[in-house]
Amino acid sequence: MTETSGTGAVGDLDRVLADLRGLSEDIESCAVLSEDRQLLSSSHASAVDRERAGALLAALVDLSDRTAREGGKDHASQLRIDTEGGHLLVVRLDGGGALAATTGPDARVGLVLYDMRNTRGEVDRVLAEGVGQ
Amino acid sequence: MKKLLRRLVLLGAIAGGIYAVRAYLRGEASATESVQMVLDDGSTRSLASNTAEGREFADMARRIVEIGL
Repeated sequence: MTETSGTGAVGDLDRVLADLRGLSEDIESCAVLSEDRQLLSSSHASAVDRERAGALLAALVDLSDRTAREGGKDHASQLRIDTEGGHLLVVRLDGGGALAATTGPDARVGLVLYDMRNTRGEVDRVLAEGVGQ
Repeated sequence: MKKLLRRLVLLGAIAGGIYAVRAYLRGEASATESVQMVLDDGSTRSLASNTAEGREFADMARRIVEIGL
């Protein structure tokens, strides 16, 4: 189940994320984080869980950007973290937001990242249309 | 002579014990998690989770994977 915090362009993210999950069966959950670090779409139904997941993801994306800047770069465009319980994958969006997904430990991570990069354009388009409305 | 040998064996056992404990502790802290970043210029950077920086990423990622997004 995917819950969104609004309608229109933000609501359209549901469809895009559902398509991504349909395309990449290894994805267990996925979300879109806006440029201002708001969780726009998430698999969580509970507001508390959404808030918690959003805060953690926002902190992680900020940390990756800070690490990139410390290394003399502008930002991180992709992040892959392998943990014992599974993988966390983050792809940066054009506007500064992020598309993130979690998978199980045995996922074909390269393939998931490929699908996420392909979906990024669609997420960017939906967000841009939302801004223009 | 026998006494010296006994002491040497004892010293060897102690040194072996210390080495074993150190190896065990190092094994516990070894990197079972990893962080890979692709930066905006296409370069990549890897961080092992047994470094302070990598641990910060891994801790957050572990929690996110646990609760889902």
